[in-house]
Amino acid sequence: MTTTTSDQANIESPPMDFGDLKSQCVAPRPSIMGRRRSLSGILWLSAKGILRGLLTTLSYFRRPSTVVTQQYPENRDTLQMFERYRGRLSLIHNEDGEHGCTGCQICERLCPNGSIIVTKDKKNEATGKPALDQFIWRQDTCTFCNICVLVCPFDTLEMTGDFESSVYDRRLLVFNLNEYAGPTADQLEKLGDEELAKAQMKPMKKYQGPVPMCGGELDGIPKLDTGKSDDA
Amino acid sequence: MTVEVSSLKELVEQASGTSGSPDTQEYFVNMGPQHPSTHGVLRLVLKLDGERVLRCIPVLGYIHRSIEKISEHMNYMNCVHLTDRMDYLSSIMNNWAVAKAVEEAAGIEVNDRIQYIRTIFAELERIQSHQLWWGVLGMDLGAFTPFLYGIRDREVLNDVMEETIGARLTMNYVLPGGLMADIHPNFVNRVKEFIKYFRPKLDEYDDLLTGNVIIQERLRNVGVLSAQTAVQYGATGPVLRGSGVAFDLRKDHPYGVYDQADFEVPVGTVGDSWDRYWVRVEEMRQSLRIVEQLLDNIPPGDYLVKKLNSKIKLPEGRYYSQLETARGILGVFITSDKKDEPYRLHYRSPNFNNLWCLEPMIKGDYIASLIGAMSSLDLVIPDIDR
Repeated sequence: MTTTTSDQANIESPPMDFGDLKSQCVAPRPSIMGRRRSLSGILWLSAKGILRGLLTTLSYFRRPSTVVTQQYPENRDTLQMFERYRGRLSLIHNEDGEHGCTGCQICERLCPNGSIIVTKDKKNEATGKPALDQFIWRQDTCTFCNICVLVCPFDTLEMTGDFESSVYDRRLLVFNLNEYAGPTADQLEKLGDEELAKAQMKPMKKYQGPVPMCGGELDGIPKLDTGKSDDA
Repeated sequence: MTVEVSSLKELVEQASGTSGSPDTQEYFVNMGPQHPSTHGVLRLVLKLDGERVLRCIPVLGYIHRSIEKISEHMNYMNCVHLTDRMDYLSSIMNNWAVAKAVEEAAGIEVNDRIQYIRTIFAELERIQSHQLWWGVLGMDLGAFTPFLYGIRDREVLNDVMEETIGARLTMNYVLPGGLMADIHPNFVNRVKEFIKYFRPKLDEYDDLLTGNVIIQERLRNVGVLSAQTAVQYGATGPVLRGSGVAFDLRKDHPYGVYDQADFEVPVGTVGDSWDRYWVRVEEMRQSLRIVEQLLDNIPPGDYLVKKLNSKIKLPEGRYYSQLETARGILGVFITSDKKDEPYRLHYRSPNFNNLWCLEPMIKGDYIASLIGAMSSLDLVIPDIDR
């Protein structure tokens, strides 16, 4: 640690020349004792200042309509977050429950803190094209910077207004966002066969679906002991 | 000019051997890192004689997150979001500082709409930062009411910004080459409503705190910082202007569209805590003026001139850019080696320099005055450590 002596700073020296500064000055308001006032003047102004502050708070006491406190847990049903609020990340699914994620991994590459892990199948059996396997989002490391949403070329990510996400174990904050592993909505449509498309959307693995990955195997995340976990 | 370098250990050892009579025994006391009035994890080692502060040695490093080092492994778009976490009360201005540095270095021209929106948001952010400071200053000096009033008004402004940005504290709104999102359709009207709401509230602030004789006596002639010392220690922002140096980057080296707005820069005369208090309260009024003038003239245009996932590569060299945040000058120094990641990214943060003004300003004064003086410096600790 370094410290400098402040002696040289306290020495009075001639006024400094700061060059041509263009700032216009507004002189600060003088304080109560700032000017030459008599004792009675000071006392009067002091009492006035304190009384005025008291009257301000009293005026709010008289007007309960000015209360701005939100009764948060009680108003949960009516609480409306802003449209753009950055809460929990979610993968947009259409009304048929199909997603548009191709697993291109742009969001994973541009995520500043490695909160997104996208794995994909090399070749889907039905479509013959690569398809999304797991879209894993780690809320415990996410900084909600919104970059993944912005860079997604298929506009398939969004930040929802869901902000109540406290849990007792941070391993519960790892989510799999896609409801099924497999092709995008576009590719499912191209299949033509409705039965085949539905079969593609059935869960094929144990930890599929929008559930916390409790117990899921993932690099760097220790396995949760389900026997001892608090189910509350 | 001589600079004496000594370690904290040496200082303590020197003092322990030289205790004289019990009446004037000097002793060391730790203030922080968990002291509520240090507004974070700042540790001050105080050398005391009774209640008088003989020396005040700030000890840093309790909230160091190595933002500069992490930035070396990120592209410039990702670097921005880390600056939210430096001076979290002026996050948009921090974002803008990085964006400005990158744009100047890479030669990206942004359109007028982006500049207008950035300037408006920076001024709104300055207001909300000063609102919080005003409330906390009251609380530090033992008055709890101002905190509630400051937070109440800050909430109104936070809602306005949240509607456009989607975040309340870590905004991450300004990107190199534009903005993250266009302004919300309601934005202009809501800011107008806010200005109408907040103008009378500023007079109410005066009634509550400024006119109060106890507050005035605790701030006046406390923590006097001469213009000379302020310049020597590299203080900027309201701390420098409170000492009587009329230096404001918004006026002297205009960036954004500050040159198109008509506003004044409040400057103190004595350099005490009262002057710094007054400079900030007046700055809120001037910020309202700037926003009011710019709000109706936002030109049409794109909100992003650079494609988002395109790699921004800076030419080899060193680039420096600075702007005025709510607390002073934030400088961004980029050393580039032709990659899309900085070779070295350094932030010249305002709070670091402002912090060291504490010692010359408080020497020989009481501990109680230290609280007031420190509050008038408006320190944000994560910005000091980075």
